[in-house]
Amino acid sequence: MNMNVKAYAMMPGKKKMKTRDWNALLFKSVLLLPAILFLAVFMYYPIEETFRLSMTRSTGLGPTQFIGFQNYVRLFQNEEFLMGLKNALLWAFWSVCIQIPLAFFIAFSLSVYKNKITKPLRVIYYLSNVLPSAITAMLGKFMFAPRNGVMATLSAKFKWEWLGKIDFLGNPDLAFWSIFAVATWAYSGFYIVYLMANIEQIPKDIQEAAQLDGATRWQYARFIVLPMTSYALRIVSLLCIVGSMKLFDLPWLMTSGGPGYATSTLGIVLYKNGFLNWQYGRGAAVGVIIFLLSLFFTILQFSLQRKDRDA
Amino acid sequence: MKTKTAKLSLGAESFPHYRPKLKEILVTLILVLLALTVILPLILPWMFVFKTRLEFAYNPWGWPTELRWLNFVEAWKVIRIGQGLLNTLYVCLGAIVCTVPSAAMAGYVFARYRSKVTEVLFYFILAGYFVPVQMVLIPLYQLCGLMGITDTLPGLFLPMTAFGIPFWTIIYRSFFVKLPNELAEAARIDGAGHTSIFVRIMLPLAKPATVLATLLVFMGAWSDYLLSLIMINSADRYTMQLRVSQFLNAYGADHMPRYAAAAIIAAAPTVILYMIGHRWIIQSTLAGAIKG
Repeated sequence: MNMNVKAYAMMPGKKKMKTRDWNALLFKSVLLLPAILFLAVFMYYPIEETFRLSMTRSTGLGPTQFIGFQNYVRLFQNEEFLMGLKNALLWAFWSVCIQIPLAFFIAFSLSVYKNKITKPLRVIYYLSNVLPSAITAMLGKFMFAPRNGVMATLSAKFKWEWLGKIDFLGNPDLAFWSIFAVATWAYSGFYIVYLMANIEQIPKDIQEAAQLDGATRWQYARFIVLPMTSYALRIVSLLCIVGSMKLFDLPWLMTSGGPGYATSTLGIVLYKNGFLNWQYGRGAAVGVIIFLLSLFFTILQFSLQRKDRDA
Repeated sequence: MKTKTAKLSLGAESFPHYRPKLKEILVTLILVLLALTVILPLILPWMFVFKTRLEFAYNPWGWPTELRWLNFVEAWKVIRIGQGLLNTLYVCLGAIVCTVPSAAMAGYVFARYRSKVTEVLFYFILAGYFVPVQMVLIPLYQLCGLMGITDTLPGLFLPMTAFGIPFWTIIYRSFFVKLPNELAEAARIDGAGHTSIFVRIMLPLAKPATVLATLLVFMGAWSDYLLSLIMINSADRYTMQLRVSQFLNAYGADHMPRYAAAAIIAAAPTVILYMIGHRWIIQSTLAGAIKG
């Protein structure tokens, strides 16, 4: 590659290139135009509008009025928003603590215990990840619906009254966890497949060296695989956390954020403010907060990573 | 690819001094059980779907006594999956046609025509990768209103395109950077212009990236819910996901056999697509995730 660059620089045709410059410029501009146009119109203009709207009182009709940071102040006094924020952070915490270790366990076992039975399992694990969230929610309700859901009918069949008493989606303390279970079901597939690919990229000589030293599989997992996949684990955790900040589909479809505000998320607060109450300004403020939180966690992740590399 | 993974994988024979028999059986069992929980929600509806409401109420877990297809017919009428599917396919196609060429062209320029200006523009596009759609939902809706494309299918796939371009530009760029320079040089000496080098030589070489992008943009558009929810109002423009959610809201799980039928119908297209293309889907997801 280096050689190429040198050869390119030494080429005698520099003058010739210059005469063609206009051509190249035109070519470049034409090729870049669609991408830049799309981003400018459908992303950067709306971003600017989000910041502007979040500082106004705006209902979509009539004039908008500049009110400074009042929307933000109001949000932090609003019970539903605070609940959504709390749920987003809790969701991020628990998904990193539960979904990722689970996925790591499955991914490692799948790549170490390879036999005829476990080999095709990867394909099954990933299946739940490709289902659109509307269908995932439908299946989640199928399991947890009161009276007729799978859980309810099972409790009736086996006369398990304790199970029959549990209201998976209607109990404010439980609804969060029911949705979390459905999300674990739906999202783990990606983490498994991604971690597995990273585990299998560990060079064979390292594994052989571990073998020679008499390492068991679990020592191999703890002292070699875990450190060597730490980057992948971090990326997956980051995806998890950022995903929690924008969470919308599953809780909205399964409980609409209820009962009360028990399963409210930042996405739901934004949607309700913006599209049900026509409070554009306040909805935009929630959007800004989602953005800032995602940005914060992304920067945190990358700065931690840099620190590690320096050490 | 296949031989490579086989070589790298740790077979049971790799740890010979370790007697794993019992442990291996145990772990295999756990893995199978977990896999069962993954597909169970897709299989269980079949237990309910052939029953009448009464039959279900008395004996939900008994084997179906006869194959009644009525629930399917009813669910089909309500969910109108055919039309939803058509709209969804239109959105997918639109997203692919807009995203893939734009990203390929931009990625090519960023890889092959590096200058200060293109570097700045690259960061302009790269930054877009970190912007969540949720953040700009409200202005996006207003903008589409101004352009008169709310409640139309282009109103769905044009914003989708904008949010897909950053990632695929990165992928295409990393792909074009790796292609050898000699090819382009040789073509240039033969008198090929910028356009023909790109179209005739570079683009065909980037075919793996194009396949990847096409497949994943399709999947993204296929499963979108949030954008459809805010953009589309008229029932005849509902995408598949909106139909499903409408069924959820309107009918709920009171009539369980019909609900089960609807769940089967709704999941079927995705499951069938996945069964046909799981190898490509998993591979392209990984390629995308690892490079990105």
